[in-house]
Amino acid sequence: MTFPFWSLVAEHREAGLVVGVLIGVGFGFVLERAGFGRAQKLAAQFYGTDMTVFKVMFSAIVTAMLGMVLFAGLGLVDFKAVADNAVSSTWLWPMVAGGFALGVGFIVSGYCPGTSLVAAASGKVDGMVAVVGVVAGQVIWTGIEHLPAISRLQNASDLGHLYLWELLHLPPRAGPAIVAVAVTAMAVGCFLGAEKLERIFSRAAPPAAPRPRRLVFTGLAASALVGLGLGLVPVGTSAVAAAPQAIGPEALAERVLDQPWKVRVLDLRAREACAARRVPGAECVPAAELGKLGLADANGTRELVLVGEGTLQALPAAAAAYPGAVRVLEGGFPAWEAFALRAPEPPPAGASPAERERYRLRAGIAAALTGVKAAPPPPMPSGDAAPKKKAGGGGCGG
Amino acid sequence: MERNPDAFWNPYLAGVALGLVLLGSFLVMGNGLGASGASLRMGVAAVGAVAPSVVEGAPGLARAWNGGHPFDFWLSFEVLGVLLGGFIGAYTSGRLRLETLSAPGYPRARRLLLALLGGLIMGAAARVSRGCTSGQALSGGALLSVGSWAFMFSVFGGGYAAAWLVRREWR
Repeated sequence: MTFPFWSLVAEHREAGLVVGVLIGVGFGFVLERAGFGRAQKLAAQFYGTDMTVFKVMFSAIVTAMLGMVLFAGLGLVDFKAVADNAVSSTWLWPMVAGGFALGVGFIVSGYCPGTSLVAAASGKVDGMVAVVGVVAGQVIWTGIEHLPAISRLQNASDLGHLYLWELLHLPPRAGPAIVAVAVTAMAVGCFLGAEKLERIFSRAAPPAAPRPRRLVFTGLAASALVGLGLGLVPVGTSAVAAAPQAIGPEALAERVLDQPWKVRVLDLRAREACAARRVPGAECVPAAELGKLGLADANGTRELVLVGEGTLQALPAAAAAYPGAVRVLEGGFPAWEAFALRAPEPPPAGASPAERERYRLRAGIAAALTGVKAAPPPPMPSGDAAPKKKAGGGGCGG
Repeated sequence: MERNPDAFWNPYLAGVALGLVLLGSFLVMGNGLGASGASLRMGVAAVGAVAPSVVEGAPGLARAWNGGHPFDFWLSFEVLGVLLGGFIGAYTSGRLRLETLSAPGYPRARRLLLALLGGLIMGAAARVSRGCTSGQALSGGALLSVGSWAFMFSVFGGGYAAAWLVRREWR
C-alpha cells in the first residue's frame, strides 16, 4: 500500500505536524468560503431557507468517500485500515444521543465546533464565545464522565468498528464501492430535494447555478461507477496480499506507556535476545511457538504488535488469524532500540513545555530500557482467552 | 480579487473542495479532520495550569492530561491550521470584521449567552459521541462508519427539533 504515510505519525512526526497545519488551513479556508463562518447562514439550514450546510457536507462526504474507494480499487490504500485508524468505534446509542444534543447546541449557538473556530478566526465575537463554550463543555463533561451513571450511558452499546458494508453483509473488497454508489445516488437525490425545499421556504428563488451543479453531479456519478468497476474486478496479487500494517517505535512507545491494556506486544525474536532486552511488557514468543498462543481464539480486543529482527514482511499465519488488529513494528527491534536507547538531548533552558514533555517521555523510555527499573502501569483485566507466557525478568508484566 | 462579503462559493464546488482536503488527510496522514479533540487537550492544559488538583481528581481529565501536551498532538496543529485558514479566507473575502452575528435587532448579550450555552452543550455532546461534526460526521461518514451515520442523522434531528425554540435568534 502506497498510502497513507504512516511514518508521518511515527519517526517523521514533526513533518506530520506541519502537514497537519496545511490540511487545517485548507479545511478552514474552504469552510470560510462556503459561508460557514456566518452563523445565520448555518442556522438557515434548520429553517429550510438555505440548505448550504447539507449540500456542502454531503458533497464533501461523497467526494472523500469516492476518492478513497478509487484509491482502494487501484490497490493504493486499504480502505478499512484507514477507517479503523481515523474513526472511532461505533457506540450506537451514545452517538445517537450525543448527535441529538450536538444538533441542539448547533442551532442554539449557531455553529458546530469546527465552524466556531472559523467564525472566531474571522472576528465574530459569538464564534469566540462558542469556542470557549465548546472547550469548557468538554472539560466539564470529561471531569464527570467517570461517575457510574454517566459512564454506563456513555459506554453502552459498543459495537466496535462497524461499517455500512458489514451491516449489509457485503464482501470486504467490493463492499465499500457498492455502498458508495448507493450513497452517491442518495446524495444526488437529496440535493435535488433540498433545492425544491429551498424554493418552497424562501419565496425569493435562490439564483440557480446549473453549470457547477451539473459538473459536480456528473463527476461524482462517473467516479462512483469507476469505483464500483474497480471494486468488482479482481485485481492482481499486489493489492490482495496486503503488506502488514506497520507501527513506528514512537507510536508503539506511546501505546505501551499510555494504554498498555490495549496492546499486546509479542517479541518473535530468539528467546535469549528477547529475555535480554525487549519492549516493556512484551511477551517472548519465538516465531515457531506462535501457534501455541491460540491467537485465533482470543477475543481480539487488544491490538497485537509483532516485533521481529527487522520489519516483518508478511504476517505469520498464526498472527493473521487473530480477530483484532495486528501491526508489525517498523524496523523491528533494532528500530526500537535506536529510538529508546538513544538518550535524548536535554532541552535548552528556554524550551517550550511541549519540548520538555517530549524529552521527559523519551528519557523515561530510555531509562526504563537501559536498566533503571520503572514499573509499567497496571494492566487492566481484558479477559483475553489466550494463555500468557511468562517471560521472566523485571518489569515484564505481560 | 474582488472582495464581496456576501459572495460564497457554490455549495457543491465548496463541498468537493472540502472533500478533497479530507481525502488528502486520509491519504497522507491516515487520519480525518477534527475540531473537538484538540480543544479538550487545550482546555485540560489550561485547567491543569491553574488548578492541578482538579485535573488529578477526575480520571477522565487526568487521562487527557497524561496523554501529552496539546502541542504534541496532531489535531492541535490541524486546528491551528483551521484558525489560520479561516482568517485567510475571511481576510481575502472582506468578511474579517469584529462583530456579533444574529438576526437583526436581537439583543447582543442574549446572543452571546446562547452562543456560550450552545458551545457548552456541544462540548459535552462531542464527548458522548466521540467526536463532532468534523471528526464523526464528515470523516466517519466518508469512511462509511455506522456510528458516524447514526450520529449525523441525529445532529440534523436535534437541530430541527430545537429550531423553533430559538427562531427569534435567527429570523
